[in-house]
Amino acid sequence: MTTLFFLLVGVALLVLALGIFLWAGKGRPSPPAAGGEAVSFREEMAEELGLFPATPPEAPAVPPREPELVLPQRYGVDRLVLMVRDPYWLYAYWEISATRQEEFNAAFGPRAWESTRPVLRVYDVTGVNFNGFNAVGYTDINIQEEADSWHIPVGQPNRSYCVDLGRKFPDGRFVTLLRSNVVTTPRSSLSECLDEEWMWIEELYRGLRFPYGVSSPMMAEEVRRRAEVFPVSISSPAFGPPAQEPGK
Amino acid sequence: MARGYLALVLHAHLPFVRHPEHEHFLEERWLFEAITETYVPLLQVFERLVADGIPFRLTVSLSPTLISMLTDELLQDRYARHLEKLIELADKEVGRTRHTPFHETALMYQRMFRDIARTYHETYGRNLVQGFKRFQDAGRLEIITCAATHGYLPLLMINPEAVRAQVAVAVDLFKRHFGSPPKGFWLPECGYAPGIDEILKEFGIRYFFTDTHGVLFASHRPRYGVFAPIYCPSGVAVFGRDVESSRQVWSAQEGYPGDFDYREFYRDIGFDLDYEYIKPYIHPDGIRVHTGIKYYRVTGKTNHKEPYVPAWAKEKAAVHAGNFMFNREHQIRYLCRHMDRPPVVVAPYDAELFGHWWFEGPLWLEFLIRKIHYDQDTVELITPGDYLRAFPCNQVARPCPSSWGNKGYNEVWLCQANEWIYRHLHLAASRMVELAGRYHEADGLLRRALNQAARELLLAQSSDWAFIMSTGTAVEYAVRRTKAHLLNFLRLYEEIRRGSIDEDHLAWLEWRHNIFPHLDYRWYASEATGS
Repeated sequence: MTTLFFLLVGVALLVLALGIFLWAGKGRPSPPAAGGEAVSFREEMAEELGLFPATPPEAPAVPPREPELVLPQRYGVDRLVLMVRDPYWLYAYWEISATRQEEFNAAFGPRAWESTRPVLRVYDVTGVNFNGFNAVGYTDINIQEEADSWHIPVGQPNRSYCVDLGRKFPDGRFVTLLRSNVVTTPRSSLSECLDEEWMWIEELYRGLRFPYGVSSPMMAEEVRRRAEVFPVSISSPAFGPPAQEPGK
Repeated sequence: MARGYLALVLHAHLPFVRHPEHEHFLEERWLFEAITETYVPLLQVFERLVADGIPFRLTVSLSPTLISMLTDELLQDRYARHLEKLIELADKEVGRTRHTPFHETALMYQRMFRDIARTYHETYGRNLVQGFKRFQDAGRLEIITCAATHGYLPLLMINPEAVRAQVAVAVDLFKRHFGSPPKGFWLPECGYAPGIDEILKEFGIRYFFTDTHGVLFASHRPRYGVFAPIYCPSGVAVFGRDVESSRQVWSAQEGYPGDFDYREFYRDIGFDLDYEYIKPYIHPDGIRVHTGIKYYRVTGKTNHKEPYVPAWAKEKAAVHAGNFMFNREHQIRYLCRHMDRPPVVVAPYDAELFGHWWFEGPLWLEFLIRKIHYDQDTVELITPGDYLRAFPCNQVARPCPSSWGNKGYNEVWLCQANEWIYRHLHLAASRMVELAGRYHEADGLLRRALNQAARELLLAQSSDWAFIMSTGTAVEYAVRRTKAHLLNFLRLYEEIRRGSIDEDHLAWLEWRHNIFPHLDYRWYASEATGS
């Protein structure tokens, strides 16, 4: 959505620039007005720039700009993809096709979409083979209508999650539109699973903080500043404890 | 008989930057600088050690993009020209610095660049990959490789076929250059997620590396910590990075490279000297760049810098090599008290740290290897392949998903600066899998288009672009590369689906992005649909 905003701002600027250009055009053939012609306009600009006196040698010259590359906003594919950022955070992105929206209205009434709110339902599916109904627990996150991605603070290492994107009716009824893949957050500590007959040389590690990410000298600075590490306490949804020991 | 082992691992990688459409391209200098400052100096270290009959074992990872660039004729020609200019500049500098405290250093560069030219042209005939192979064949190096375009695999695992193709392309290229498939695999950025090991296993890979917590947080808890490998349930071995030896070399504060006698990286004559004088040796558009000629030492923590004294720096490199060895001996003696087998300390580094960032790094490495041979018998150099042959029985545990990036997980490659790329990368990957499933035996123009689509996808997947976006410098180039390759892919996809391939455009893409000439799009076929 933010990208769309910038795109709109970009178009607005382009129109503005076009206006200025026409005003200062000095008998140039007027560029066609259609939006699709914007590209040729940009090329003319680029040529004209070349006529300006060269920049003074001391100033690093700006390399000639190549045409802007614009990726599709949408692909017309219904999908909700869940990714792991770290032991405490997930990231989800999605796309809902117009067809899916129409199907929703067809099923729940022509004004159903407008009268519902978008919600991310984050299921804790640790230890279960999730079928939509057997989650250990879930948390709902109200999201903005325009959002197409979300950083989800789950706050729990070594647990499995699945996310539904759905619509919530005023009466609390939740209808799933898209379901994500299942992911598991990584551990943030030593495993509790010990093979009892083995000895662990843990005195080597007790109290030692591991300098994650000292992979380049440039990053060393950052590493020292990561005292807070993870904002675990901030808005972590409180998942209930597992109803049973994780199976298998 | 040594009581423990040290596995030094150098991972050499640069993203594929090759712009035949421009006479001079700023980012191509990344390769030129790394050849002059890292790759050739490392090969020269190996040469001297072999000449002196010093036995050593090192692991070197060469990324497929780097292998491709080092063996590319256009880039070889451009490097040769670059080096000629550099020698010309070094000659001028010898004159300019006469009767100044910089003269000795100027002479050092003059000598060094000529030596590099000799090594590059005469010893290896411009093909440094063959140079590395020479030391593999001599039993000194265990050469491994990493993902095709250094894709950050944990975040590509949404499409396991895309990860499989990253591995397949890498293994195929490796076989063509080194004669046999790689035993080990460097996971880009040490990024591991469950399932990656199983894909590696399909290609006969025996081991990979993770950061410390990748092994340490494995489950069940590893008995020897990171001082012995574990086996994934798939049977692929995992070696975890040792904290102590990493910190000594990497850390800007406690690490060796920050020593006041070492060369200061940021004071380069490309920025310091008069514009008219330096103009012929920087970018033709007048953009000031690093030339590689730097006259100052780190000196201290302020901006005040004193002239570099090569003899002092050399002395320091020797001292630091001795210190590193002493610490390893101490560490291994300590570990031996708690282990019933010889511990292995795994010390992986970006190769470009040596020489490029840390100018004295190659020298330090040479001193270290010599000292390990002559001065002690506690520590012995080993490669993971050798270790696994000697100790084939290891504990089975599931590694912890992790990376060696900041904070240890995926955040560097999945943050607000770069998260937007994944919806496109994943979609493109699924479309590539779809194409491979649809066209089992394409030939002619269709085959070329399918192969080029795969190349564009692979190039878009380079972890380097996401990394650069996250650091906030040179972002524009990284964004452009990501978008350009994705758009090329999407266009080819549409053309293939419509059955109207624009041959001129395809030929232009093949010329511009000529990486992996032997790539086979069918490597993207999912197991279900693949023939």
